[in-house]
Amino acid sequence: MASADKLINTDVPEKDVFAFHFLQSLSNLRKQNPFDTPDQKNYRVRKIKKAAYVSMARAAGGSSRLWSRALLRRADKDDNKIVRFSRRKRKVTWKISSKRRRSNQRAPVVEEAAERLRNLVPGGGGMETSKLMEETAHYIKCLSMQVKVMQCLVDGLSPK
Amino acid sequence: MDLTQGFGARSGVVGPVTGLESLNFSDEFRHLVATMPPENTGGSFTALLEMPVTQAMELLHFTDSSSSQARTVTGDIAPTTLHPFGALTFPSNSLLLDRAARFSVIATEHNGNISGETANSLQSNSGANLDRVKAEPAETDSMVENQNQNYSSGKRKEREKKVKSSTNKTKSSVESDKLPYVHVRARRGQATDNHSLAERARREKINARMKLLQELVPGCDKIQGTALVLDEIINHVQSLQRQVEMLSMRLAAVNPRVDFNLDSILASENGSLMDGSFNGESYHQLQQWPFDGYHQPEWGREEDHHQANFSMGSATLHPNQVKMEL
Repeated sequence: MASADKLINTDVPEKDVFAFHFLQSLSNLRKQNPFDTPDQKNYRVRKIKKAAYVSMARAAGGSSRLWSRALLRRADKDDNKIVRFSRRKRKVTWKISSKRRRSNQRAPVVEEAAERLRNLVPGGGGMETSKLMEETAHYIKCLSMQVKVMQCLVDGLSPK
Repeated sequence: MDLTQGFGARSGVVGPVTGLESLNFSDEFRHLVATMPPENTGGSFTALLEMPVTQAMELLHFTDSSSSQARTVTGDIAPTTLHPFGALTFPSNSLLLDRAARFSVIATEHNGNISGETANSLQSNSGANLDRVKAEPAETDSMVENQNQNYSSGKRKEREKKVKSSTNKTKSSVESDKLPYVHVRARRGQATDNHSLAERARREKINARMKLLQELVPGCDKIQGTALVLDEIINHVQSLQRQVEMLSMRLAAVNPRVDFNLDSILASENGSLMDGSFNGESYHQLQQWPFDGYHQPEWGREEDHHQANFSMGSATLHPNQVKMEL
């Protein structure tokens, strides 16, 4: 899927890469919990969801995108089974305070929307607004790809 | 008044050369050099620089082919009348123009209040003409008119800085993302100090990325206004995340029914698929994958599930290979 915009690169790999990584993480999960207990459904749901996000981050270019790195770092903090990821130095976030010196000139409309986006997109806390929008575009593409893969899987596995 | 004093002092010097109209240009130069006060050491051109504005302009006129113009100008040279500058035709001799520009710059430092505005307009002319003359010598006239009308907050430093930083006043604005330095074209009548230039560059960057996002999110190009577009984008991201959560719930519900053995399938995919980041480490993990043969009796049941799953229209997981393995 080649992106039409040559200046800002938001290329995302094909669907099979996502599917591959997702299935890989799912079987990883399966190996951890051979007993599928029906009572702790929420726990399983959460694990699957996390596996989905982590596999998406890996599939979409593991370290080359900020949000994927932040996602993997976040997952690494909780448990080490799903993720094998070398720890990177935490990016210093003082940059924002230095750029907010002339904050009255940055369009407040854009800035408040950027705040909401920062809460949604992983790793958004340490980025400038223009960088944030780039990451958001890539994140949206990856999310839609992951949704398609999961939809296929569910449709394939659901009882006829 | 500094100008009158200077002029008075000079006029005494220039007295013997009142018959200027009859002289050739080179002759007049020699006369001026000879009658310069002794403290002006240096070449004839630097001597020219020491003279007040009006005389410099008068001399510049002599470089024109038409001597009649010069005569009319010399006729009404007075310390306070700098009006002839409105109808100036600047010579295309860039060297003289350089000197004139630099000199007029110096002149305003001396003459604080007298000809503040006109001198400013003069130097804005010359500042702009520095640009123009080097590029388009033919159009100095129209540019002069434009600059006269466009005199906003034209401080000298800003003009010079603009000239040095190679920005042009055009009606369009262009921005480049690839280059390490962002070249921004300022629109007409906009402030050109460093802060607003940077602000404008940044705003254009953000607008370009917002357009990209607009194309990505369905239904966003119909909406007018950045606030609504941003709201729509945020809603889209939230809905996608909710979809992921919903699908993972469904998957969790479906999952205990089927225990698929993915090892064989994934092993066959190993060589054909590439990681998004072309990272080698994920391959290591796959190669170290132990082949578990558990859940064998369910093999028969999961066969059609696999085929049904992976031969779905959109997912391209090499169904032929899957059939071969199974």
